[in-house]
Amino acid sequence: MTDTNIGIAPPESFRAAVWSQFRKHKGAMFGLIVLALLVVFVVIGPLVWQPEKLKVAEALKSKNLGPSLRFPMGTDQLGRDQLARMMAAGKVSLAVGFIAMMIAIFLGTFVGVLAGYFKRLDGILMRLTDMFLALPLIPLLLVMVMLFRDKIARVLGPEMGAFILIVFAIGVTSWMHAARIVRGEVLALKEREYVLASRAIGASPRRVILRHILPNVVSPVMVAATLGVAEAIITESVLSFLGLGFPPDFPTWGRLLYEGLEYMQLYPERVIFPGLAISLTVLSVNYIGDGLRDALDPRIRGR
Amino acid sequence: MLDRADTPRRKLVEVRGLKMYFPVTAGVLRRKVGDVKALDDISFDIYEGETLGLVGESGCGKSTCGRVILRLYDPTAGSIRIDGVDIGAADAQTLRPLRPAMQMVFQDPQASLNPRMTVAGIIGEPLDEHTQMSKAEKLDRIYELMDAVGLNRNFANRYPHEFSGGQRQRIGIARALALNPKFIVCDEPIAALDVSIQAQVVNLLEDLQDRLGLTYLFISHDLSMVRHIADRVAVMYLGRIAELAPRDALYDRPMHPYTQALLSAVPEPDPEIETARKRIILTGDVPSPANPPKGCNFCTRCPRVMDICQSVKPALREIEPGRFVACHLYETTAAAGSTGAPEDHERNQQGATQ
Repeated sequence: MTDTNIGIAPPESFRAAVWSQFRKHKGAMFGLIVLALLVVFVVIGPLVWQPEKLKVAEALKSKNLGPSLRFPMGTDQLGRDQLARMMAAGKVSLAVGFIAMMIAIFLGTFVGVLAGYFKRLDGILMRLTDMFLALPLIPLLLVMVMLFRDKIARVLGPEMGAFILIVFAIGVTSWMHAARIVRGEVLALKEREYVLASRAIGASPRRVILRHILPNVVSPVMVAATLGVAEAIITESVLSFLGLGFPPDFPTWGRLLYEGLEYMQLYPERVIFPGLAISLTVLSVNYIGDGLRDALDPRIRGR
Repeated sequence: MLDRADTPRRKLVEVRGLKMYFPVTAGVLRRKVGDVKALDDISFDIYEGETLGLVGESGCGKSTCGRVILRLYDPTAGSIRIDGVDIGAADAQTLRPLRPAMQMVFQDPQASLNPRMTVAGIIGEPLDEHTQMSKAEKLDRIYELMDAVGLNRNFANRYPHEFSGGQRQRIGIARALALNPKFIVCDEPIAALDVSIQAQVVNLLEDLQDRLGLTYLFISHDLSMVRHIADRVAVMYLGRIAELAPRDALYDRPMHPYTQALLSAVPEPDPEIETARKRIILTGDVPSPANPPKGCNFCTRCPRVMDICQSVKPALREIEPGRFVACHLYETTAAAGSTGAPEDHERNQQGATQ
């Protein structure tokens, strides 16, 4: 048996195949590099760039400065170094964006698959989804934050508490679109003959879902996920702007943007830098999602 | 095939009084307003090692029949015994260990293969489910199966979209064979292929049957292909079996008016016979299976309809040894003819089921 198999390539590793296709996607590679640079900027940046400690009198003198060698991105209205604030803010914004997106996608896919595959759960779960869609989100978030912020802050500290609460709040209020898309897709997929073949083998629903349904709903989920990152970052900014996100002295890209808003006409760089960072994140994530979706589809991968 | 008919054969599949009704719901509250009678009281046997052809027009319940026998649907009533075990009402847990013995080959080779799995993954899926083979053993078995269905081993890492229809159907057959089944339901396995490939696939199926001793339920609407492959043929009309007979008898001398009409539609290759051929043209449409006629299902279109057909459903009776017909035309002859043969058959059936 073994000697007849000589010359036959062993099954190519799935990851290697996906990676080699992903690398062919120019946009995706561009997105990956930009995102990697952003992550390096917010994680390694603070270790390299130590802003000088200013006394109060100095800080008052050096407020609202334009970009210079001393302050590469200028200073804010309190004389704080914008570059250092951008780095600290990015860490939070990126973390909020990705973790909230993951929660939303996980919830959405879970609900969508259950509703689509099990007819009995369909009615209940989709009505639940409709209910969440019908809720006005911003007031709901405000109420959630108002009710729970202090309780969580007492346990985890004000910053970590706010982070967990915001991520969770954004996650549980933005899964509905993913759920609807996934449900529709699953309804179509479960009537396919390969699902029937799998059932004829005696595979349990869990195996059928993991092996046949989930890999085939990857494309719409990927699209929903990339849009979700952007949405989460923006929603966090809105919350912070309304004073219900992170504490006021705690920078996020969204907050920097809103702080800069009133000085926009005098010091446009106060808005441009955080805006650019958010846009670059969203754009790169979109391209990565695009490339990943193509790479995961064998019909495109073969070419 | 003839010598097989003489020796007593073991029944592998016994279907008795099988009914499959799909509910029709309407309104906001989804109240049940009726049934689509996809299968209405069907009974037949399949002997070990034979091929039973199941023919009929679109929508007559052929595919539903195949799927119910494999318990992909839950039947409304009736019993299905495969190898002596009644699976008609068995739950998923009881069914799982029985699944390897019965498999299915699907109609559309494009839709029956997961586009995101490699050929090795597709053929190996049944092995993952039912065996504890190591990776190397599994790969060996996959290569063995690919050899058996005539696929190059180098194709193992490719994806379904890279294959032609015939090759895809071979992959589907290899998957069905993976667990050494005894009984395979072929649900129009050649309907989506072009003619030259049809012959290849049918020859492959026959070859596998000879080598592995498989039993087929071959569902098709292609009468000439059924004539080629089947040992016995069942003709279905609107959820009921109209006629069930050995192949040659059925094709030479169809008894049920529907079978006669169906066979008269098969074109002849010889142009002289073709021009002289007399077709029985049926008028009207197939009645809705949600609202079948009160009497015989065929009474609305039958060229030889009688009064009794409008009111009484004819039962499937054995007219001659091995020939079952559900038609009032033959009821009198059966009653007047020798009473010995049908009773003999009755006894046989009971003996076999015990």
